[in-house]
Amino acid sequence: MASATDQNQKPAIPELEGFSISRPPFLGYGLIASSVFGSVALLIYFGAWAATDRIENRALASDNATEIQDGEWWEDGLIFACPLH
Amino acid sequence: MTNPAYWLDRKFGLRNHTIAHYAWVIVAIAGVVQMVGAAIRMAFGVLVDPLVESFGWTPGSIGIAYALMSIVTALASPIAGYLGNRFGARKTMAVGTALFFIGMMWTSQTSAIWELYVAYGTVFGIAQALLLVPVVPAVAAWFRRHLGLGTGIMMVSWSLGPALVVQVLAVLFETVGWSSAFVIVGVVGTGILAFVLIYFRNTPEDANRIAYGTLTNDKPLVTEGSVFVSTQKEFQRFVYKTNAFWNLINIHFLGCVGHAVILVGIIPMAINKGVGPLTAAGVLTTISVISVSTRFITPILSDKFSAKTVMFLSFFGQGVGVFLLFTADSALDFYVFAVLWSIPYGGEGTAFPVVNRQYFGHFPIGTTYGWQLLGAGLGMALGGAIPGLVFDITGTYAWAIGLSAAFSLAGAVGIALLEPTRHQLIPAWPEMEAGPIGATAPEENRTLSPEAGD
Repeated sequence: MASATDQNQKPAIPELEGFSISRPPFLGYGLIASSVFGSVALLIYFGAWAATDRIENRALASDNATEIQDGEWWEDGLIFACPLH
Repeated sequence: MTNPAYWLDRKFGLRNHTIAHYAWVIVAIAGVVQMVGAAIRMAFGVLVDPLVESFGWTPGSIGIAYALMSIVTALASPIAGYLGNRFGARKTMAVGTALFFIGMMWTSQTSAIWELYVAYGTVFGIAQALLLVPVVPAVAAWFRRHLGLGTGIMMVSWSLGPALVVQVLAVLFETVGWSSAFVIVGVVGTGILAFVLIYFRNTPEDANRIAYGTLTNDKPLVTEGSVFVSTQKEFQRFVYKTNAFWNLINIHFLGCVGHAVILVGIIPMAINKGVGPLTAAGVLTTISVISVSTRFITPILSDKFSAKTVMFLSFFGQGVGVFLLFTADSALDFYVFAVLWSIPYGGEGTAFPVVNRQYFGHFPIGTTYGWQLLGAGLGMALGGAIPGLVFDITGTYAWAIGLSAAFSLAGAVGIALLEPTRHQLIPAWPEMEAGPIGATAPEENRTLSPEAGD
């Protein structure tokens, strides 16, 4: 039975002459970078908010609300990274 | 003897389509692979309580296994796509099946949390990528035209499969316990996958057939040999240089964050407004059921018209639709939301194979699609974390709803910035030099006449 890929058929060399994409995909890079930065910023903002709450709750629980409580390393890191907290 | 499929063709009055084509067997196999491959991921919620009861682990520590699995699957997706291109989807899925079996058996014997992370989070995560990524480009290879129809039918299994498997797993967990349930699902699932892979073929040429929608004057495409390998590398470099490649990863990420927030958060949101747990669960079921219709129709519309326009409407609708949740206070409000929102949501991710075809032609899209699923997987992981995190901090879901809308609408903006889909962005994929397929094709494969083009 004959088939679509008969043995006597040869692959054509693709016609690429003159085809090039010289300009880097700045728009694509920019959009993906903005999503990455936006998502990381969002995580830092909410993470820092959560960290602040946790530290305050511990302070309240220890009946020493005025004393500055030490945070865990990740809590301190998030608060340090977030300019809004 | 008359092929019953031809009888069905006549019965349904099909003129430009036929049921008598092996492409539909490939679509059915893809549906089964999607169903089995995604089963345990979808059923993770059922697994949490038994593990808490058996080992005393916290839900949070068990949830890390799910997050790990999502991230591992996402990171492994481009590699899985590349392997599918390079070695064929069948071999790649066979390795995925073996890892699926190992992951399931190991998870069933887990006694320490680190084992859960390795067995479920890592082994199963890689298995899932190897099973789910290469199968979609393989289906695309079986459709010279009408890819939207094939994709639409395949995508229906994404909704129906997990809905079915979740019920089966829930019964098994209840009757034989979680460990035996994993063994049973592992053995049965592996058996099913091994069986269907016997009938799976990477390309029509592998099966000595022609692709669905091939016209009699079409030449066969190059699918193997040195020209295939070298051209694939060269074309992939072209693809990397297009804005669409990067933007589509970004769009899939944004869309998945947008709907993951809702899919994970809708039940707690409803309960928070005083809706009963069972009624709240019905909201999610409604979304799953109604979205099946647009999962099916969106790729077909994308194929017929412009995938870019259809995707934009889906993302825009998904983003705007969640505003209904700001005022939802009763069960009726949530069900109205479920009905309206599931229409655009169903179409959010299903047009990707079609838009890839419109931009990149018949170029094997395994690696490209794998990158897009990397974006989707990371989006699902981030979106899944948002509702709980935001509620814990603010005591309300308003922020989560707003963020869901913002991500979906940002995705719509990304789509608006995509290139028009009228022309391919890279050269046409090479064909064989010999005469048109119609001259050599087996009679039963000649599904369309030249006049029946799309």
